Amino acid sequence: MLTTDGPGKSLRARAKGEGSVKRYPIVLFLLAVTGSFALAKEHPGKAYIEKNGYHGPSTCEAQGCHPGTAKMFLGTVHWKHASPVGNVDNLTPGKEYGMKNRIYTMCNGNDIVNNLKEIPPNPKTGKTKFTGCNTCHPGNHISDVGSTGKDAENAIDCLVCHSLSYDFRLRQPYKDAAGRVVMGQDRSVKAALSVGKPGVKNCMVCHEAAGGGVLIKRGFAFTKETDVHAAKGMVCVDCHAAKDHRIPTGFDPNNWASDGVRVSCGDCHEASPHQDKDLNRHVARVACQTCHIPKTGGALAKDFTRWTQGPDGFFEPTTLRKEANETAPVYAWYNKTVTNTPTFIGPKGSRGDKESKIYPFKMYEGKAYFDRKTGKLLSMDFAPPMATGDTLAGVASAAKTLGIQEYDPVPGWQVIYFGSSHLVTKKRALSCENCHAPNGVLNFRALGYTEEEIRKLTSPELYFDKMAEKQKEDW
Amino acid sequence: MKRFAVVFLLFAVALAATVFVPASASADEIKMIGVITKIDISGPDAATATATLKDNKGGGLVTVIVNDELTLDKFKDHRIVVGDEIRLKYEVKDGKNVSKYFRKTAGC
Ligand code: HEC
Ligand code: HEC
Ligand code: HEC
Ligand code: HEC
Ligand code: HEC
Ligand code: HEC
Ligand code: HEC
Repeated sequence: MLTTDGPGKSLRARAKGEGSVKRYPIVLFLLAVTGSFALAKEHPGKAYIEKNGYHGPSTCEAQGCHPGTAKMFLGTVHWKHASPVGNVDNLTPGKEYGMKNRIYTMCNGNDIVNNLKEIPPNPKTGKTKFTGCNTCHPGNHISDVGSTGKDAENAIDCLVCHSLSYDFRLRQPYKDAAGRVVMGQDRSVKAALSVGKPGVKNCMVCHEAAGGGVLIKRGFAFTKETDVHAAKGMVCVDCHAAKDHRIPTGFDPNNWASDGVRVSCGDCHEASPHQDKDLNRHVARVACQTCHIPKTGGALAKDFTRWTQGPDGFFEPTTLRKEANETAPVYAWYNKTVTNTPTFIGPKGSRGDKESKIYPFKMYEGKAYFDRKTGKLLSMDFAPPMATGDTLAGVASAAKTLGIQEYDPVPGWQVIYFGSSHLVTKKRALSCENCHAPNGVLNFRALGYTEEEIRKLTSPELYFDKMAEKQKEDW
Repeated sequence: MKRFAVVFLLFAVALAATVFVPASASADEIKMIGVITKIDISGPDAATATATLKDNKGGGLVTVIVNDELTLDKFKDHRIVVGDEIRLKYEVKDGKNVSKYFRKTAGC
């Protein structure tokens, strides 16, 4: 079955061996084939599960099926929420980083200070609720982020990524008889009988609401209206094809953890993918995303020092929201290494550096408390402010968890550049005048071009004849 | 005689209504935040559903028709359930409330 050894990988490997012109039809053909196989072929474990029930990973590994999968999964970013990071400034060598322990201002905490728990009751309503970053972890919270051993293996929620009929009423936090906070799972036979290659919605269980609500982090809607690949029926794992659950990622300046494997546009597309050689001449210095992802989205800014009370009595960080494709990106040279200071997380690179290309970024600004003494960003436990709006109580709780005794909190802003890798379009791709007109989207001066060069780069001379010709064809 | 006039008048009003009202009504997008009190969906293959929300402002009940696939799917696998707070935009089309935007409010 093609899906079991990662269709994307084999598809790419095969496509690479072929002539350049044929690559698309082959990719598409294989997509169609893997798609229909996934549907047509029955899961060989069906009879076993029907007879013995579903008990989690031990069932997946029974009778020699998928041996060692759970153990291997424990070593991935999805379980550890951390990994070694090689391309970011100011990190402690040898230490792993990720959602587990980072502190930034998209979500001003981490899995440790915001461990899943019941918040104090709201003074007005007396109501409480569960909250914590590690709700987006495929464990049961007893076996939590980065845990190891047999219990951890047994706690993995394989079906959240693999079942097409998961009942999400069961994936809720609750308190067990011993008073421990447990993250529920759907381990029903019904859910187990519909296992397959992960679909978009499986991945979106966590990815859609990353950053504090639906599409908040970067307006990442993956629908046929917002992405050419979704329109062609592709799903996340067609590009993020995993082997041994190491899911490839890119070089988002703000998404550091990786399983050591990467995906890029060039895995499937030619280095010179256009019929039009005027477009192809750009790919050496302009990233594919720059022209093909002309817009971004999600939150513009958040204020963690002042939370807003909702009608239900609970508080949330004050957030300026935008939809997918509602904001303009910022453009910068990027060589895949990252500046990391308390007030700025973003791309490094320059025109003079041949490793750098111009990329689009979603720029985000977050206000939170910094320690006046050290200049460092402080983190916040969300439970206190969520109940009462008292943000300094949240900082105090987090400091206690982290063993920070003395600090002097002052509000300040942090700027973060997020990578922009989805929302790919062909129709709305930037064309000559979008960049080369005097009011184009690129700030050539800031990008390091001289006045003399800018005069050339913003002259209609560059594109006039071409566009005049195109205008003739269009009419 | 009198009756005719009334009938005619009513007819005229109805005509005016059909001609003018829909145009202005459909241009209006109504926004609200409310908690779901009821979801009606006919089954796994349903192409439409209705949801009733209690408006946080004033507590009135509003029932909307939901047609978009993503939200329907979230009703079907219970990613959106009764009790969830929703940010809603809807339009009035032919006297019916049709959802244009249906998102859980939940934040960080
Ligand atoms: C249970 C929640 C959850 C599900 C389901 C989930 N993810 Fe993730 N994913 C996360 C979290 C949390 C992170 C960030 C962890 C970190 O960086 O510390 C992440 C990170 C990633 C990354 C970057 C790091 C890496 O491993 O390369 C990629 C790519 C990714 N996910 C893709 C996917 C795909 C594809 C799917 C569907 C098959 C998926 N995810 C399903 C929670 C989830
Ligand atoms: C709804 C699921 C979800 C919740 C809840 C969530 N995250 Fe994440 N987070 C993700 C995913 C998915 C990613 C990686 C993909 C991305 O960045 O788009 C991520 C990435 C991150 C990263 C970057 C990790 C890295 O590898 O550098 C940080 C830091 C982070 N989250 C912090 C938090 C904090 C703090 C909270 C709680 C206050 C939180 N997250 C809650 C889903 C979640
Ligand atoms: C975070 C989401 C996620 C979780 C949780 C998850 N998987 Fe996977 N799984 C994937 C992805 C992604 C692939 C690769 C799909 C592809 O490339 O087509 C995959 C592939 C597989 C495959 C195909 C062979 C392979 O290794 O590539 C099997 C079997 C499998 N998973 C079993 C499991 C089992 C058993 C568990 C629980 C112990 C589990 N998965 C948990 C995302 C997940
Ligand atoms: C057409 C291929 C493609 C599809 C489909 C796709 N991605 Fe990606 N994704 C990429 C590429 C390429 C990158 C990295 C680009 C870079 O950084 O150079 C990326 C990066 C990411 C990252 C890292 C953070 C970021 O945004 O840069 C996450 C997380 C992620 N994808 C998750 C997903 C999920 C979840 C889906 C499905 C809803 C998905 N992707 C669908 C190609 C794809
Ligand atoms: C896993 C392989 C894969 C990756 C990775 C990938 N693509 Fe694609 N892309 C495809 C396939 C397959 C198609 C559909 C081709 C077709 O229909 O002719 C496609 C279509 C496109 C199209 C539309 C072409 C057309 O003629 O309509 C554009 C533009 C595009 N991709 C750009 C990108 C960009 C930019 C990236 C990186 C962010 C990327 N792709 C990453 C496989 C991929
Ligand atoms: C300077 C802007 C620019 C850059 C850089 C760029 N593209 Fe394009 N691309 C376009 C435009 C504009 C079109 C639409 C052409 C049309 O409609 O005739 C296009 C079309 C395409 C197509 C459809 C095939 C075609 O010739 O119409 C693919 C596939 C594609 N681009 C992929 C990529 C990939 C992959 C990269 C990075 C290696 C990339 N593009 C870089 C602007 C760009
Ligand atoms: C995303 C913005 C963008 C788009 C779209 C774009 N260009 Fe460019 N173009 C650039 C940048 C940046 C450079 C400078 C690259 C470098 O430093 O080598 C450039 C350089 C050029 C040059 C070389 C100028 C010189 O003096 O060396 C020509 C010619 C050119 N572009 C023509 C075009 C044409 C024709 C189109 C439309 C088909 C187009 N460009 C679309 C950004 C763009």
